[in-house]
Amino acid sequence: MAYEATLGDLLRSQGVSRRAFMKFCATTASIMALPAGAASAMAEALSAARRPSVIWLSFQECTGCTEALTRSHAPTIENLLFNFISLDYHHTLQAAAGDAAEHALKEAMQANKGEYLVLVDGSIPLLEYCSTVAGHSNKQILEDVCADAAAVINIGTCSAYGGIPMAKPNPTRAVATGDIIKDKPIINVPGCPPMPLAITGVIAQYLTMGKLPEVDHLGRPVAFFGENIHDRCYRRPFYDRGQFAETFDDEGARKGWCLYKLGCKAPVAYNACAHVKWNNGVSFPIQSGHGCIGCSEPGFWDMGGIYESVAKGNFGDGAKLGAAAVAGAALGAGAAVLARRRKSEVHHEEGAES
Amino acid sequence: MTLLDFARGPAIHASLIILAAGIVLRLVGVLALTRGADLSRPRDAFGNFKGYRTVFSRAWPSSEFNAATVYQTVMAYVFHIATLLVVIGIVPHIEFITSLTGASWPGLPNFIGVALGTIALVSLLALIVRRLSKPAIYNSTVGDYITWIIVALPLLTGLMAFAHVGFRYETMLALHILSAALLFAYMPFSKLMHAFWFIFSRAQSGLAYAHKGVRI
Amino acid sequence: MSATASTQIFPSFEQVYQGLASQIGMLREMAPQPTKSDEKRLQGAIDTLIADTNADEAVWLESCIHCGQCTNACHYFQSMQDAKYAPMRKMDLYRRVYHRELSPMRWWHRLVTKPVKLSDFEEAKELIYDSCTECGRCTMVCPMGIDTASLVHHMRSAMVAAELVPPELAALRMEQKHQGTVFGSSPEKLKEMIDTIQAQAGVHIPLDKETADVMVLSSAVDLVANGNGLLATAKIMNHLGVDWTICSDGFESANFGLLSGDMALWKKQADPIVAAAQRVKAKTVVIAECGHAYPALRWNPMLRSGELPFQMMYMSEFLGKQAKDGKLRLRPLDEKVTFHDPCKTGRRGGAFDEPRAVLEAMGADLVEMANNKEYNWCCGGGAGIFLLQDATKLRDESFKIKIREVNETGATAVVVSCASCRLNFESGRQKNHWDKRVESLVELTAAHLIDNEAIDDEAPARGAVQ
Repeated sequence: MAYEATLGDLLRSQGVSRRAFMKFCATTASIMALPAGAASAMAEALSAARRPSVIWLSFQECTGCTEALTRSHAPTIENLLFNFISLDYHHTLQAAAGDAAEHALKEAMQANKGEYLVLVDGSIPLLEYCSTVAGHSNKQILEDVCADAAAVINIGTCSAYGGIPMAKPNPTRAVATGDIIKDKPIINVPGCPPMPLAITGVIAQYLTMGKLPEVDHLGRPVAFFGENIHDRCYRRPFYDRGQFAETFDDEGARKGWCLYKLGCKAPVAYNACAHVKWNNGVSFPIQSGHGCIGCSEPGFWDMGGIYESVAKGNFGDGAKLGAAAVAGAALGAGAAVLARRRKSEVHHEEGAES
Repeated sequence: MTLLDFARGPAIHASLIILAAGIVLRLVGVLALTRGADLSRPRDAFGNFKGYRTVFSRAWPSSEFNAATVYQTVMAYVFHIATLLVVIGIVPHIEFITSLTGASWPGLPNFIGVALGTIALVSLLALIVRRLSKPAIYNSTVGDYITWIIVALPLLTGLMAFAHVGFRYETMLALHILSAALLFAYMPFSKLMHAFWFIFSRAQSGLAYAHKGVRI
Repeated sequence: MSATASTQIFPSFEQVYQGLASQIGMLREMAPQPTKSDEKRLQGAIDTLIADTNADEAVWLESCIHCGQCTNACHYFQSMQDAKYAPMRKMDLYRRVYHRELSPMRWWHRLVTKPVKLSDFEEAKELIYDSCTECGRCTMVCPMGIDTASLVHHMRSAMVAAELVPPELAALRMEQKHQGTVFGSSPEKLKEMIDTIQAQAGVHIPLDKETADVMVLSSAVDLVANGNGLLATAKIMNHLGVDWTICSDGFESANFGLLSGDMALWKKQADPIVAAAQRVKAKTVVIAECGHAYPALRWNPMLRSGELPFQMMYMSEFLGKQAKDGKLRLRPLDEKVTFHDPCKTGRRGGAFDEPRAVLEAMGADLVEMANNKEYNWCCGGGAGIFLLQDATKLRDESFKIKIREVNETGATAVVVSCASCRLNFESGRQKNHWDKRVESLVELTAAHLIDNEAIDDEAPARGAVQ
């Protein structure tokens, strides 16, 4: 490869105007709360950026994360950026197969030692036989590939926090990337799937700044996951007024009232859905009439059911309360019987004395 | 397991088990001691029955004590009513109760919930200020202060969670549920049991006095 | 003075009070010393509380929320403003014992609380005796309706077992227990007094009749100091023309078993009265104006009065009934008076209307105190406290509340119907140079009787309920 195309070249070849590119940079920079002037710096850097080597590992996943990025309605700048990266290895997307694929992986690792990015989707089973590629367990592949990586980006909740494979009863003993890889910078871009802008935003910042963005206590970029969906939700006024949809087909639902009672997890979910939205800013789940399921949160699948509201308790077995009351009654009666026996003994002694 | 999962799972579950067992244990353990018989002749044949009035009549102090008790009585009423309305009135609580019992009813708008919670907390503060400023009258024990704190915490954390201030919402919610769990588990072993005793205590005195023809 | 004839035969009540005060002073020297070991005294006290505690007591002990309202009702707290006199404090030791011995949580309490010591009971002595008349006013304000007075009474029983009864009550308890008398008021003294009344006032008292409709009790105060009390009673009974008697084997109203907390002695004292009344086939037993005798003989839950063939009535109750029936013919009392309900017959006895009916029959201008009937302020001398030297300051200070209450009515005299109240009022009157007269209901009634011979000249009886 004599000439490595820059991103600018690629965009031009795809007919994306300079104006549209600047708009993307400005949006990304502002969403990531970068300082003023960063947009043009980003445009500069991105235009000149060389294709970084990326190895995409897919473990216990559903391909939804890849789908979210690649199957957008229109050829967006996000997926163009995605196209730009040198995706040297991707189970689902790469043309090569079998030995050739594994060979490409080894080649990419050697050629870009210490510089390549590892993108992971899917969780890793500790019961290693549950998921293997080319005779190697997911855990082994992850450890091998990450050994010489510059950084790890977890795409989706499964690789970030274990996700659905880890949901109870977790038959494969699935864990997150961070549970295995401890010595590399890791950033989580959770979601089921994650927002495309969040993925490209993280990559864009890495390309322009040479470092991963600021993260919260769950390893997520604050720029995309720092806001509570409930706080940003356009239905919040209905919550404050106490106007709730009780079912999915009642008047409240038709009028667009708050979905809290229908199990919306927005109050405990942190993501950019409510303000960035999906499909080029068309909509997001709550806008389409379904509560947030909190997919960007660890263990979201076990948060008490998609249609159970945030406030609901998880009581396990309600009959235990009845049993507890019966046990209390038995103890109380026992205590009282012993106390009365004591009283009558004392009474006898007193009677004997006087 | 996150703090929130712990709070609304094992913590609240265990506290409710303690609450149910504790209340019944204490009520049965005391009431099964049974009342002593009063063999003396009542002043009038149906006099004793009138004693049950005291359960209700003692809900407000008689005029003789009005001036001295009005501050505390009013504050206590404000606290109890506001707290009760918050407990059964706001939507998250109704959802919680529904998940436990299946029963459901319409909730109050949130701004009213916040107002009631604030009123309850302020009245509780007004009561503790008085308790602190008049030590001779209250003879406060450590238990009195612990109880106050345990009652105030759910109100405070609830308001903070409700208004999305302080820690992140899920953390505040978890702390709120944990503080409620603490209240539930503490209740049967503390003076908060007056929620049940007042009926028996008033009735007993009412009956004992009505036996002599005295209305208290 | 409205009482005319009687003052000439017997000393005035002012002198009675002074004489009695010196006798009370001597009681302290006669007090018995503890005889049992400290361990036995402590165990006895705890066992007594265990035996006395039923669900009622347990619920009351469990119910207190330290709301402090009771302090508003207590005359001792209000006059001293000292934390230790808060009524709720008076059950603290009882509650500790209950928690450790009987409560359903006793295993826990035994782990976290220290065992109760005899010194704890010694410290509680002031709260249980000196600063509680068991008047029950705190129950009237308590949001939980806790009957602190009965809890204090059980504590007094425990104090008897712990041999911690105050010297004055202990001395009188021992006298009543071993000699059967109070201040030496023996059957001989009774006979002597009856003879004196017959000789000097010409009033006949039928002693020890075989049968009688009405059996009248007397009291030590009447026999050893205030002859006017018995004289007035006799005049009224004779005026009414009832078939009455006094039994020399059951005439003492005072019960130092009840006052000290010794319920065995209470029974020993109450039983002969019941037996005598049954023997003479009485229909009514009239208890002398001796407040605590009313709970001792009429309301004690252990006394099966429901099965007795006669009625126990307090003097004011009996007089009121006669007045309502139109049988008392009284000269008018043209004076503004107020009535002080003794705790034991009022709030804790229910005899409110009857004494007022008597005053109404005299046409008295009765002005109620701001706090009256169930809410009446205790005079501070009941439940034996009038006798306790250690309680002098408490008594004197708290009586000022009573002075204020009476003064506000504008009455010139306060009528009482209880020897303890009357002595305490007299004491307070003299110490404060108070310008109000203190009248006994029975003596006031006797002084206003219209002689039977003169009845024909008079209009129909006043105050009669037609």
